[in-house]
Amino acid sequence: MNSHLNRHWSPLLLVAAMLVSLAQPALASETIPRLANGKPDFSGIWQTTSAADYDLEPHSNRKDTPPGAGIVEGGVIPYLPEALEKKKKNFEHRESLDPARKGWTLGVPRAVYYPEPFQIFQRQADLNLVPQFGHSVRTIHTNGTDHPKDPNDWWLGDSRGYWEGDTLVVDVADFNDKTWLDSAGNFHSDALHIVEHWKFLDNNTIAYKATIEDKNVFSRPWNIDVILYRHREKNFQLIEDYRFTLDYDQYYPPKPDNK
Amino acid sequence: MKLSRNIKLAIALPALLLASISAYAHHAFSAEFDGEKPVEVTGVVTKLELINPHSWLYLDVKGADGKVTNWGFEFGAPFSLKEKGVTKTTLAPGTKVTINGFRAKSGKDFGYAVTTTLPDGRIVKTGGAQDAPTAPAGT
Repeated sequence: MNSHLNRHWSPLLLVAAMLVSLAQPALASETIPRLANGKPDFSGIWQTTSAADYDLEPHSNRKDTPPGAGIVEGGVIPYLPEALEKKKKNFEHRESLDPARKGWTLGVPRAVYYPEPFQIFQRQADLNLVPQFGHSVRTIHTNGTDHPKDPNDWWLGDSRGYWEGDTLVVDVADFNDKTWLDSAGNFHSDALHIVEHWKFLDNNTIAYKATIEDKNVFSRPWNIDVILYRHREKNFQLIEDYRFTLDYDQYYPPKPDNK
Repeated sequence: MKLSRNIKLAIALPALLLASISAYAHHAFSAEFDGEKPVEVTGVVTKLELINPHSWLYLDVKGADGKVTNWGFEFGAPFSLKEKGVTKTTLAPGTKVTINGFRAKSGKDFGYAVTTTLPDGRIVKTGGAQDAPTAPAGT
């Protein structure tokens, strides 16, 4: 009986096993897009589906916010006591204080998980990140250079990247304190320092992780973790979303004769 | 005279708006500062923000009554300052400087810095607005 079954079933099992092995996807590292120099090529249009920008921490829904599990490792941002008070005030007055609501640049890392697409243009020496929202271009230098010795206080900081295998590691420093981390009032000072890790999960998915450090605001470095998806809709493209000048639109084109 | 100045402003303002279309908090001198209210203050630098399109310098100024007030002055763009040799090192916290400029229309402790006198006696033009008066009265 047993041997009969075996005789009957073993070819089928073999076929099933072969099918499973065929269906096994090739390793991401074998198929991901690459530059001529072999480094992963992140060129494309990307966007998160998370509610991270509404609040990095876990939150239930609010009138202006969908609920979200948060993207902060451990769930809580480790504020210093004084900074936590400021965060609470920011949250309370977020409608008028949020820099993004004023049409200002999103900053780093906010532009990565803001709920609008951004495009990456990549070359061997650098990556240029263009968010749909606001007028800004963030350059990540991958030419082996370090932060400048005489820096400005940049809106987007200064980004220097290097490769650890197929992971792009980016050190970002030299910020000003005028941007926020999300629309819930989470903020930083000009001492902000970020280390990002960009890695393909598959051809159309990036795992983005960042360690956020700011001795003036947080008691210790903390991590965020978010997934970015590639836009594959037909003819998908960025459409300018610059809101800072909307109030001036009525004056353009100029009408010198008041007609 | 007054009329011609207004006409000049009328021409300059849209031009400035156009020039500043991609900038943040970028504005004409006359939008925020009062050309009729020159100010000269000497104080100790607390912070220099090298931010586009306008940098800001903050300094503690001791009044006649001994009270210390923190003043903020609008500076030129970081690159234009760099061209003139002004960096974070030049204006490190603790540096004593004298600023000639104009007060904010709001009357608060803010102003527009036309020139800055550095500790080594060097006088640097630090204002960048195209419609700003070149030198405050009395200098």
